[in-house]
Formats: sequence, C-alpha cells, structure tokens
Amino acid sequence: MSRLVRTLAATIVSALAATSAFAQGAAPNDAQIAGIVVAANQVDIDAGKLAEQRASSADVKAFGKQMVTDHTAVNKSAVDLANKLKLKPEDSDTAQSLKKGGTDNVANLKTLKGAAFDKAYVDHEVAYHQAVIDALDKTLVPNAKNAELKALLEKARPAFVAHLEHAKSLQSKLGGK
Amino acid sequence: MRRAASVAAALLALVVGGTTQAAGAAGPAASGAAGTHTVVMENLRFMPETIEIRRGDTVVWVNRDLVPHTATAQGRFDSGNVAPQASWKHVFASAGTLPYICRYHPTMKGQVIVR
Repeated sequence: MSRLVRTLAATIVSALAATSAFAQGAAPNDAQIAGIVVAANQVDIDAGKLAEQRASSADVKAFGKQMVTDHTAVNKSAVDLANKLKLKPEDSDTAQSLKKGGTDNVANLKTLKGAAFDKAYVDHEVAYHQAVIDALDKTLVPNAKNAELKALLEKARPAFVAHLEHAKSLQSKLGGK
Repeated sequence: MRRAASVAAALLALVVGGTTQAAGAAGPAASGAAGTHTVVMENLRFMPETIEIRRGDTVVWVNRDLVPHTATAQGRFDSGNVAPQASWKHVFASAGTLPYICRYHPTMKGQVIVR
C-alpha cells in the first residue's frame, strides 16, 4: 500500500515538476499560473476534507481541517485577484495533472482506514507541500508577470512552509520515514 | 517586486499608523491615558513578537496574511478567528507577562508584557 502512496505522491511531484518544463520553452503565462494555483489549492482542500472525516488521530484530523481553512483562504485571494485583474484562470497540462494526481490520491485514501489512512494522508501532504514550494520558487514566482500576482504567490509561501513543517512533525509522530 | 511589496507595506503602515494616531488624538498624549498598539500577523509571525504596554492599553492585532489566524493566551485572552485583512483588539487591565500563540499555526508565538 505504501508503494501506491509513493507512486501517487510521485505523480503529484512530477506534475508540479512539469511546471519547470515551461521554463525551458514557453513559460506559463499569468492565466496559466492562476489556473495552477487554483488547482493546487483545490487538491489539498479535497484531501483535507476527507481527512477531517476519516482520520483516526485527532492531530491528523485537526491538520486536515487546517488545510481546508488555509487553502480555501489562499484560493479566495487568488480568485479575487484574478477577477480584479480580469485574468481568467487557464487550464494547462500542469493543472490537469495536478487535478488527476489529487483525484487518484483521494481515491486511494478512500480505500484506507485507521492508522493506514493517517500515514498515507500525511506522507502525501509532506510530498505535496514540498513540491508546491519548489514549483513556487522555480517556476511560478519567476514567471509571474503581473506584480500583484507575483506578490500573492510570495505571500502564500510562508503558509505552505508552515504546513510542510507541521506535516513533517506529524509524519515523525506517526512513525513515518 | 520587492519594491512594490515594500511600497504596499509602507502604505499599509501609514494607514495603520494613521488609525493609531486618530485613536491617539482621542487621548493618550496626556500622560497616564491609555494608548493603542498594533501587532501585525504576517508571514506566519507576530510582529513585533514581544510588545510592552501599560495597564489599560489596547492592542490591535491586524492580519495581513492570506490565511486566518488567532491570538490566544489560554485562559487569558482569545481573539477567535481573525480573517485575512481583519483585526481584533483587546484592552489589558492587569499587569503580567502573557505568552500567546496562533491556535491554527502553533509555531506562531508572541507575548504581551503589561507593566
């Protein structure tokens, strides 16, 4: 089972790493960046909602709830800014594969219970947040043209870093790697 | 970008400072009157982390992050949910040192020292 988790985490990581493919040829434009941000947040909101319902440890449940709150808030800011800038979030291969990775992760989590669920969810959260931070630093922030969009991405970063640290501490409590 | 951000921060500081001054005009210039202090919640930190005030002073917490926060000292004060762009204020009546955290992000720590 943990092999499957690793595969799923790898899917998300490679989806986000694919954003660096943009860097070589066509960099993502602002509309695509907005689309990637919305997709990335939605993926973690969906997983968080499931964890709120199904996690067995109170700490993991609380973490899931926190992910829903924070990523919903970040998404609201992103959508508000996109509306203000008349920027319609645009689909891209990266956004597509993020959504696919998210759907696969949720489908996998739904087959798990108890401690196995908690571990799979938290392992995925660690990989996911690390990948999002890398994508922000290497692709999204450097390619954002609009100053307000760039500022929003930079402003979201500390929350993702705090989530990563929190997920890692849960991972070690759960006896993960 | 950094410049735009710092211009924005400066503008915000002006606005916040303006508010404090407006509150100030209502009172604290005279010694002994209560003052108002601002703690900003930004980048998942309280700034300043430690604030020293006098009894009767008000502290306003302003959330400039994209995510909600709280200012919570168990059993002493609790802001409840402070949404992005929102603020919460509390008047400190008695002296003491009050460490507090954000309940949502417990790595965020601060303290209020009331003289």
